[in-house]
Amino acid sequence: MQVKMKMPDLSTTEGTDIAILKWVVGVGDPVERGQVILEVETDKAVQEIEAIATGTLSAQMVAPGDKVPVGEFIAAIEVSK
Amino acid sequence: MTGGNQPEFLLGLLERMIEIREFEDGVKFLFLEGAMPGTIHQCQGQEATAVGVCSALASDDFITSTFRGHGHALAKGLSVQEMLDELFGAASGCAGGKGGSMHMGNMDKGMVPAIAIVAGGIPLAAGMALSFKLENKPQIVACFFGDGAVAEGAFHEAVNMAALWNLPVIFVCENNLYGASTRIDQVMKNTRIADRAAAYGFEGETVDGNDVLAVHEATRRAAAQCRAGKGPYLLELLTYRRTGHSRRDPTHYQPKDEKQAWFARDPIDRFAAQLQADGLIDAEGVKRLRAEVTKRFEAAVEIAKHATQPTLADLETDVFAEKEVA
Repeated sequence: MQVKMKMPDLSTTEGTDIAILKWVVGVGDPVERGQVILEVETDKAVQEIEAIATGTLSAQMVAPGDKVPVGEFIAAIEVSK
Repeated sequence: MTGGNQPEFLLGLLERMIEIREFEDGVKFLFLEGAMPGTIHQCQGQEATAVGVCSALASDDFITSTFRGHGHALAKGLSVQEMLDELFGAASGCAGGKGGSMHMGNMDKGMVPAIAIVAGGIPLAAGMALSFKLENKPQIVACFFGDGAVAEGAFHEAVNMAALWNLPVIFVCENNLYGASTRIDQVMKNTRIADRAAAYGFEGETVDGNDVLAVHEATRRAAAQCRAGKGPYLLELLTYRRTGHSRRDPTHYQPKDEKQAWFARDPIDRFAAQLQADGLIDAEGVKRLRAEVTKRFEAAVEIAKHATQPTLADLETDVFAEKEVA
């Protein structure tokens, strides 16, 4: 089963896009729920985004330099259940 | 170590702390998934303050709380379901779906809906305690607030009146070292908050807030004093937040070594180890308990996701107090 992750509502100013900084986990790598997979920068701070499920990171749907609105798909995790 | 307490009571404390941790972690992921709107203020790491205090109160005693109130609510006996329903904005939520994360409460269970204004609950708690005293009721109030609230005028005005009138209220300061991102020593010269009580002529005490039994015992003593007409009492509970001020706070201001030192004093791990040393539970039992709590939480999430939302007709209900008919 595939779980798609959306950009969480981390911005302190409503409607501001969130900048993608760096992927910490590569496509095909195992991830655990709660593990940091991506670093982003909001209008206020650099933040880490944690995986919401345990499995394999199957897609990175955004790239460093992208500015992404809250709620947009950012990653997919293949859950082994 | 665990004194003369009954095993069921001690295991109950552990289960309640695990329930709070699971609730907060579970809600964190619901937020990350986008299933839950808004922001949340969580209390991972501060479970022993909530559970230690509330386990020493009677069910008809009251608490007041803050925007970081999920743990207080669960400790005072609110159910995971009524709180999750509230977070999902459902009509079956403890505040009818109109309060959300920062206004958890249930008057029937002795919790005034939490007040999101820093120090806002302190005068209110003193007022409730005054009414109990005037009506000769045996109840007391425990008033939770953070270290950031101590510099507010409301704190000083309320504790002064409470002291003057010997009101039955326990002022519970959860000192987690930071008011949002500001460290306590940047905003006060005397960082021992319990000392404030002496200035107003009543008793204050600093307690290890990550030791659930120490908190429970201190609260029992404070409660006995309040019931004997010798209130109020100030309890300063030293603890640490394992998470951001809100979901949007990456806690870059907490130094790594400080974090590690406090994480090593995690209230749940410590108490579980203590109970294991006393032979009340084994490692497998703790694991099983966590799994049971997780399962219950997940079942409650499924119910909350499909719970009925308030309708337009509910807009004007719960806004004004109903007129009492003589």
